[in-house]
Amino acid sequence: MPVTVRIPTPLQRFSGGKLNVSCSATSIEGLLEALEMAHPGMKERLTVGGKVRPFINIYVNGEDIRTLDAEASVLKDGDTVAIIAAIAGGHG
Amino acid sequence: MSTAALTMAGDVLAAILEHCRRELPNEACGILGGRAGRVESVHPVQSAHPSPSRFAMEPTAQFLAMDEVSRAGRELVGIYHSHPGGPAVPSTTDLQEACWPGTTLPNYPEAIQVIVSLLERAAPVVRGYAADRGMFVEVPIIIDER
Repeated sequence: MPVTVRIPTPLQRFSGGKLNVSCSATSIEGLLEALEMAHPGMKERLTVGGKVRPFINIYVNGEDIRTLDAEASVLKDGDTVAIIAAIAGGHG
Repeated sequence: MSTAALTMAGDVLAAILEHCRRELPNEACGILGGRAGRVESVHPVQSAHPSPSRFAMEPTAQFLAMDEVSRAGRELVGIYHSHPGGPAVPSTTDLQEACWPGTTLPNYPEAIQVIVSLLERAAPVVRGYAADRGMFVEVPIIIDER
């Protein structure tokens, strides 16, 4: 099932410079595998121990997957997935 | 990499400063929408864990703000936060958090990092920085009245 995935800027070197790529997957887990197949190197930047890295937020049609079913969240044809790096910092 | 300067009108700067003062004693954070290095919109974002020395944008609020910028046909031209008790220079934390872990690649190379120091409450200092190969390089912030 094709879904559109928005790739964060630092990972666009794996997607040939593309902001949006199309992938076929029925879950976020499957999507991460599909991204790795099509763009080797992507998965290890996005996950650790099979889980999405804490500073990365993934949205399916604007819904945070952590409020859905996390990595098991279901995808359907035409969904839009956004991978967004958290913004943080501070004087420390 | 981001543009070599960030330009904004005086009322845009005033909106940023107003937000930073409103969040005192905690750090404020938000994003700036615009085009070609000119700020056209200010989007305050709530911090997930308000603190005088740290900020972390609440993820969904960050997503919605970025979506708002995009829907308005604008681009992310800046990311701002305040240092209520420190100078307007990036901290080690700022640099670490601005880059993809384990790399020197900035998460948002297109955005100027704007830091507002409120050390002198009545005379805030605002400076801009571009992330470049694991470092921050200061860039001018130009205030005009267009």
